[in-house]
Amino acid sequence: MRVQLTPGRAVVAAFAAVLVTGSAPARGQVAEFDTAHAVFYEAPTKTHMFVYSPSVDVSASPWTWLTVRGGWEADVVSGASVATKAGGVYGATHTADVVTTASVRDVRNLGRGEVTVQGDTTSLTAGYAYGAEHDYRSNSLHVNARTDALQHNTQFELSYARNFDQVCDRVQDASAVDPTQWTALENSTGCFTSAAERTTRDIGIDTFEASWGQSWTPVVTTQLTYSAQLVDGFQSDPYRSVVIGEGIKAQEHEPSERAREALTARVAWYVRSLKGALRLSVRGYHDTWAIDSGAVELEGEKSLGESLRLMLRGRLYKQSGAVFWSDDYTGGAPPLGPHGQYFTGDRELSPFWSWLGGARVVWTVTPTAGRILGLVQSLKLAASGNATGFSYDQYTLGGVLVSNAVAYLATVSLNATF
Amino acid sequence: MKTAFLACSLFLSACATVSPEQRAVLADPSMRFDAETKHEAPLRHALDNREGSMGGTGVSGGGCGCN
Repeated sequence: MRVQLTPGRAVVAAFAAVLVTGSAPARGQVAEFDTAHAVFYEAPTKTHMFVYSPSVDVSASPWTWLTVRGGWEADVVSGASVATKAGGVYGATHTADVVTTASVRDVRNLGRGEVTVQGDTTSLTAGYAYGAEHDYRSNSLHVNARTDALQHNTQFELSYARNFDQVCDRVQDASAVDPTQWTALENSTGCFTSAAERTTRDIGIDTFEASWGQSWTPVVTTQLTYSAQLVDGFQSDPYRSVVIGEGIKAQEHEPSERAREALTARVAWYVRSLKGALRLSVRGYHDTWAIDSGAVELEGEKSLGESLRLMLRGRLYKQSGAVFWSDDYTGGAPPLGPHGQYFTGDRELSPFWSWLGGARVVWTVTPTAGRILGLVQSLKLAASGNATGFSYDQYTLGGVLVSNAVAYLATVSLNATF
Repeated sequence: MKTAFLACSLFLSACATVSPEQRAVLADPSMRFDAETKHEAPLRHALDNREGSMGGTGVSGGGCGCN
């Protein structure tokens, strides 16, 4: 009898194959607890942002072939962001404040769950995450398959995620038939309710990643990762307006489709004389909005005794601007002036370069006999601090260059294995 | 197809260069690219929202958090 392999049966069959080929189902009974707390702060010209991000994750492996994880994270945001963006030409002829800001207060909550079925050399993972903010909802499904080959010297990994997201927007007046007549969302009041003046816009995100890891010598290992993403839907900031003509401002209007891809190469080299490793990462990126970028990151991590590791990192990043990005859509010599039918005030879509420097320390405690407090098998504490600075080539706020564009991020985390 | 399969097999078999007893250093956390993924997640999230690009750090996630 032939059995038609439907997608549902294929998933069941794949999990069954892992179980059959996996190791003997000895009881593992390992549980882990993770918590991390991060603080982000920046205060560039005219704006500022403070974000506190706590997270808690627990995982349990009742058998060696099964791991179940669950977690929660949040972003508690307060600050001020640009509400109306104007460029240098417009700012030079208009003395009043042509750039306005609005206060931002929001909390993002995200819950997630994940199941991994693993054998000796293969694992399959499936998970789901739900995120909610005042003005954004996200449902995300992801699957991952990983296998080791050639005496664990080679690893292949395939991952796919699908997001079904929604963003709140303002219902436009019936007379506003063209995006140049649309008005930005005033606030999140009434979002995701039946309020007549609010609507939701869909965003679908497909993300795919394939990675190949390879150990070449006893002290050199590499990883090559290809990432691709298709974004389909409303991608503008609904709150932000752009000055597009004399006395005319409109809600920013970005293309609804974006295809993005990146190739990342990493190498780690252990230097025995330093008792530490150097890790180099190089990433190239391109998307259909004509943003090209490159990032180079170098990390050095050294063991200080048996339980302490210190890591220092530096990173350089440079990107070109989106094809429709302009500092001033009202005119001026290129690259200023209108750029087709789209307009945005997003500084992340402008050409810029950035630097990042940081340090991390990790302290691991693993008792040689017994458990900590009779309970904890091992404990890991980590703390890090990073600073990143941005240099904007063309982005101005009414002609005023953005200075002090330095962001700071500090993170502490704890991992306990039971 | 057979030629491609043979070529891939030969290429990958040439990769098995480190025997199990030589893998002690490769197992060190400093040699792993994902040793502190959870600790580094807030930094990657911040960079994703301050840069116009993505990639190389996994696919899972949810929500915007893009302030």
